[in-house]
Amino acid sequence: MYAYNQFDQTLVDQRVEQYRDQTHRYLAGEIPEDEFRILRLMNGLYIQRLAPMLRVAIPYGLMKSEQLRTLAQISRTYDKGYGHFTTRQNIQFNWPTLESVPDILADLAKVQMHAIQTSGACIRNTTTDPFAGVSADEIEDTRPWCELIRQWSTLHPEFAYLPRKFKIAVSGSSNDRAASQVHDIGLHLYHNETGEIGFEVLVGGGLGRTPVIGKTVRKFLEPQELLSYLEAVLRVYNLNGRRDNKYKARIKILVNAIGIDAFTEMVEAEWQLLKDTELRLPESEIERVKGFFTGPDYLSAVHAGSDLQGVFVEHPQFATWYRQNTRDHKQAGYRIVIVALKNQLQAPGDVSHQQMDGIAALADEFSFAELRSTHNQNLVLADVAQRDLLALWLKLQDLDMARANVGTLTDMINCPGLDFCSLANAETLVLSRQINETFDDMDYQYELGEIQLKISGCINACGHHHVGHIGILGVEKGGKQVYQFTLGGSASNDASLGKTLGRSIEQDQVVVVIGQILDVYVQLRQIDETFLQLVRRLGVVPFKERVYGTHQRSAA
Amino acid sequence: MALIKDQQLSVNHAATPEIRFSDWLNHEQAAGDTVLTNGEDDLPSLLASANKLSMIAIEFETFADGRGFSMARMLRRDGYLGEIRAVGDVAMDRIDFMHRVGFNAFELRDDQHAAQALTKLGEVSVHFQPSADGKGPAYMA
Repeated sequence: MYAYNQFDQTLVDQRVEQYRDQTHRYLAGEIPEDEFRILRLMNGLYIQRLAPMLRVAIPYGLMKSEQLRTLAQISRTYDKGYGHFTTRQNIQFNWPTLESVPDILADLAKVQMHAIQTSGACIRNTTTDPFAGVSADEIEDTRPWCELIRQWSTLHPEFAYLPRKFKIAVSGSSNDRAASQVHDIGLHLYHNETGEIGFEVLVGGGLGRTPVIGKTVRKFLEPQELLSYLEAVLRVYNLNGRRDNKYKARIKILVNAIGIDAFTEMVEAEWQLLKDTELRLPESEIERVKGFFTGPDYLSAVHAGSDLQGVFVEHPQFATWYRQNTRDHKQAGYRIVIVALKNQLQAPGDVSHQQMDGIAALADEFSFAELRSTHNQNLVLADVAQRDLLALWLKLQDLDMARANVGTLTDMINCPGLDFCSLANAETLVLSRQINETFDDMDYQYELGEIQLKISGCINACGHHHVGHIGILGVEKGGKQVYQFTLGGSASNDASLGKTLGRSIEQDQVVVVIGQILDVYVQLRQIDETFLQLVRRLGVVPFKERVYGTHQRSAA
Repeated sequence: MALIKDQQLSVNHAATPEIRFSDWLNHEQAAGDTVLTNGEDDLPSLLASANKLSMIAIEFETFADGRGFSMARMLRRDGYLGEIRAVGDVAMDRIDFMHRVGFNAFELRDDQHAAQALTKLGEVSVHFQPSADGKGPAYMA
């Protein structure tokens, strides 16, 4: 993976001292509250309901084991011994003090990490496919391009005070695992008809109050002009995005207001002045960055591979885990291992400091000392030799991280909700607990197949409920927390927004309704038909009839 | 109000213009060659008129309004060599970015300590982007 040079290190070190000075001046009363708010947000520091929350950047989800160890150490020293991985591949600490943040940032800088632009109205962490560079279905490795975007966007002087936050996701495989169509900019690496590699550029996707699927603004962009094109889009947005209403300030609102054709014209006009300038990436720079992602020193298939059939017979649970939690690797003899952060006892995405240390050690032992965080709030060991899988599985069990539920109902995305977040209107963690208690029969979950359940505690949609196969949105009505269901959303290649099931459901009825929805699916499905396919075929009507026909306790 | 200009504390300088660019456009010649503008003005007109202006003061009504950053950047890209002065809600924590996109003068908010603000220019000394100050990423060096 990418390693800092003196240049990167200097920037991060100086940024830590800059923030230390800002914190110092704030505490001395020299920076007004509203102004410091913006400054701390640009360093990932929120003030939540109970305590500050610090979001640390994990650029495009890639980590070295030593970095995860530092995160564990930070959680012990400054927090309550755990962290929370987010849908944008970052990690959050829920209990640091405001005064300690400069020291945390200094600790992070020692292992080439930071919290720069993890919040605020600026360009956020660029996200990508957690299987980038290793997946069997990959067209092109996205990581070098993500790194180039990381550098360009970091402390970009022109785009630190945008109308609103700005998120970029990059996908480079035939299966979009980066939710790129619901980002402010989605980039798709692909080969055009003549075999050249380039980007399709989408703009204006997003969730929140106004969910929108991104629209193509350029069908093919030569990769050398990636940064000039991004700069053109950002400049058009910075100058023209609405600033009078924060709920109408995202680029999707601008694109929808003027239309994609007019927006494209503005971007292209600006880009004509930017392409072939100093923003054009020299081939040497592209090659330099690509050089960091050449892949580890794989063993030959003969040495790495292993016939697991006998092991499967001997350890049926291992066979199940293999089927659910590992994926095809482009390198013969290797598997991609997904470490689910979705056990019964912890909130989705939560990880204790012992687990962080444990998984770091497993990365050292089995996956070239690297790991990744995923949009689905799991971790990935990307390069595990088949012959090591059983040993890895046994050790993951010791960490309570071997639950074989990837892709199932309980592999849910969940925002922290009212338990932590000052924006939330409703609890979400109580739902994930109830769901885990109710749907504890793994065989039933396997039988249901792939179901993406996504839960948000407010309209801001951090839990991506609009694009869940089953989406749940918590709202507050008349002092009560109630939940609105949507069905049929997707953030993959076939991205779509879920359709509303009907009126809100009371908290203690949520698992009942999920059960009813699953019953309808099981009763009506055709052979090999997934839940999502069925919802698309039949719409929400049969679900509506079942839920509201029998459901007497729904809220108004 | 303290003014930093060309990376030093300025004691003797032209006053910040009071005439708004839109008014200046309407009675152009009579009104001198300095204007006050902000993100509400028509940017193409401003860019087209820049060669007749010796100072363009870009106003930040609130510090969160980042349009002025792009305006300055585009003026410099077009070769504008006059003074671009940041006025309004201008504080030390933003003048380094302002400087990088092409501002060369900063009329500081009343609560700002000018000598301290000067130390903020270049506080982060390395840059990942080409910008109006001519410094850029390492690969450009």
